[in-house]
Amino acid sequence: MSEPVVTPLGEGWYLVDDGERRWRVAVAGAGDTQWVFVNGQVATVETPTPGRRRRKGGDGGVMSPMPATVVAIRVAPGQAVAAGDTLIVLEAMKMELPIRAPRDGVVKTVACAKGDLVPPGVNLLEFE
Amino acid sequence: MSRLVHRSLGEGGIRRLLIANRGEISVRIMRACRELGIETVAVYSDADAEASHVRAADRAVHLGAAPARDSYLDGSKVIAAALSAGADAIHPGYGFLSERAHFAKACEEAGLVFVGPPASSLERMGSKIGARRLMVEAGVPVVPGETPADQSDGSLAAAIARVGFPALIKPSAGGGGIGMKVVRTAADVGEALAAARREATASFGDGTLYVERLIERPRHVEIQVFADAHGNVVHLFERECSAQRRHQKMVEESPCPALSPAVRQAMGQAAVAAARAVDYRNAGTCEFLLEGEGEAARFYFLEMNTRLQVEHPVTECVVGVDLVHAQLAVAGGAALPFTQDSLSQRGHAIECRIYAEDPAQGFIPQAGRLLLYREPQGPGIRVDSGVTAGTMVSVYYDPMLAKLIVWGETREVARLRALAALRDFAVLGIHTNIPFLLQLLEHEQFIAATIDTGFLDREGAALAAASVTELPAAALAAVAEYRRTAQHSGTPGTLGTDPFLTLGVWRV
Repeated sequence: MSEPVVTPLGEGWYLVDDGERRWRVAVAGAGDTQWVFVNGQVATVETPTPGRRRRKGGDGGVMSPMPATVVAIRVAPGQAVAAGDTLIVLEAMKMELPIRAPRDGVVKTVACAKGDLVPPGVNLLEFE
Repeated sequence: MSRLVHRSLGEGGIRRLLIANRGEISVRIMRACRELGIETVAVYSDADAEASHVRAADRAVHLGAAPARDSYLDGSKVIAAALSAGADAIHPGYGFLSERAHFAKACEEAGLVFVGPPASSLERMGSKIGARRLMVEAGVPVVPGETPADQSDGSLAAAIARVGFPALIKPSAGGGGIGMKVVRTAADVGEALAAARREATASFGDGTLYVERLIERPRHVEIQVFADAHGNVVHLFERECSAQRRHQKMVEESPCPALSPAVRQAMGQAAVAAARAVDYRNAGTCEFLLEGEGEAARFYFLEMNTRLQVEHPVTECVVGVDLVHAQLAVAGGAALPFTQDSLSQRGHAIECRIYAEDPAQGFIPQAGRLLLYREPQGPGIRVDSGVTAGTMVSVYYDPMLAKLIVWGETREVARLRALAALRDFAVLGIHTNIPFLLQLLEHEQFIAATIDTGFLDREGAALAAASVTELPAAALAAVAEYRRTAQHSGTPGTLGTDPFLTLGVWRV
């Protein structure tokens, strides 16, 4: 297949001719992550930055998957919990979201307070 | 003193309206006001200072902090805002304060016209048990059910026989499905009663049981009604809203393909009777469960929504009326702008709700900035929205961004139009349910119009999985071009040549 011909249409829109047919594609987003739209489908495309890894929900703690408000904290430091126990209850968009223990363990620190607005990807609680 | 002037709207009707809401419904009501020469007052929370509904209004009043209880749900702040802005009426939209009788009463006491039913109608329909009794008295069919005073096994078994099989046993004090038991034959009754009583006592401290007929695989069909202060009550036919996920509606349409003309007429008459039973005024909706289809279908009253509905545009498209215009006229004291005989259905309309949620991740709500936003256009396409490019979608409120409403001369024309419009609806920056809606509208059961209220809870996961599709390589070429223009990226020109490019999140 020949090299696709891309014509910018402005405001994030592109006409792409791949040699067989033409597609209207929208792209947006700064930095390493771009969002792309075509025909009602959406994806993100990422370029990894060498030497930097995204923090994932690791073994040492739990985090919110989205911006949310802390509505209840069900555990205290030093408390032993079993996998599946509700640790923290978040609320976002009128929905309650229980954050559960990923494994058995002992709570080391609670890094949020009731009423906090917490961003995604930040530890809310650490295990020993 | 000026209150007296406000109270007597008289000849001119409403002159300045405060819209006690946000998002698409605020914008939609303001559009109607602009058409009618009514000035508009928006209210907003800290999270909404830049929101579309604030930009669309002639005046705007700040209410308070982002959480709804500190802003949009604080009735006294809303009334104070209306008085300070010199408004003579308040439209509550849907949700928030719209069905709170004490708010409607507080408006009346402050000399403000509440665009909705009188507080007394809200009160009577607000109690489910009271509303059910009123409906029975008005001759409106309800799901057969009872709480026998004698709670012995024998008495409960007799009650189950009266309501008929299959039956549902549930705790009177209950909720959330706890202690609910389905019984299909008389032989199952004893064991089910014992289990339900045990669970009811354990969960609610009260073993009292309620029994009702189980309506299996019902449809949710609702009738739009409208009443004025001059004794006129009409219905504006039905909306079919069975496509709902966890009681959250996703697609609505009108007409309902399962209704015969005779059943449609009977439902319309029942809805009018329901409205008359509570001295209703303004726009309202009677929700029914529909069992079966065609001439054999039976319907049962569920509840009345005493407000404008999210899905009101499908009625507007099919019946050819403007329900918000009519709301403002009736609230201003005028007679209904239409009579029952003048109303009819023409063609077919479908509404798709666009939610900020990711079907591929269990419908998790999305928050973030809309980096790019473009609505579809064309004949028969209407979009009611409360967002634009750059809007920050917050976690504080309902995740509905917009509604796509299409009209076509037949259901199939409307379905194909909705699909084409969804494929042309670009939202970047957060995930939406658009890929899921594309799957749903192409599902054989949607095409055959056989969806019941449990469909999305049964099939939703499979539809969500199917909505994750590959994008054409052309999309990547556009991304490369985008990145090549330096201002967008710190690493221009890397896409075509960088062997470490990951497509880890390349999905949906």
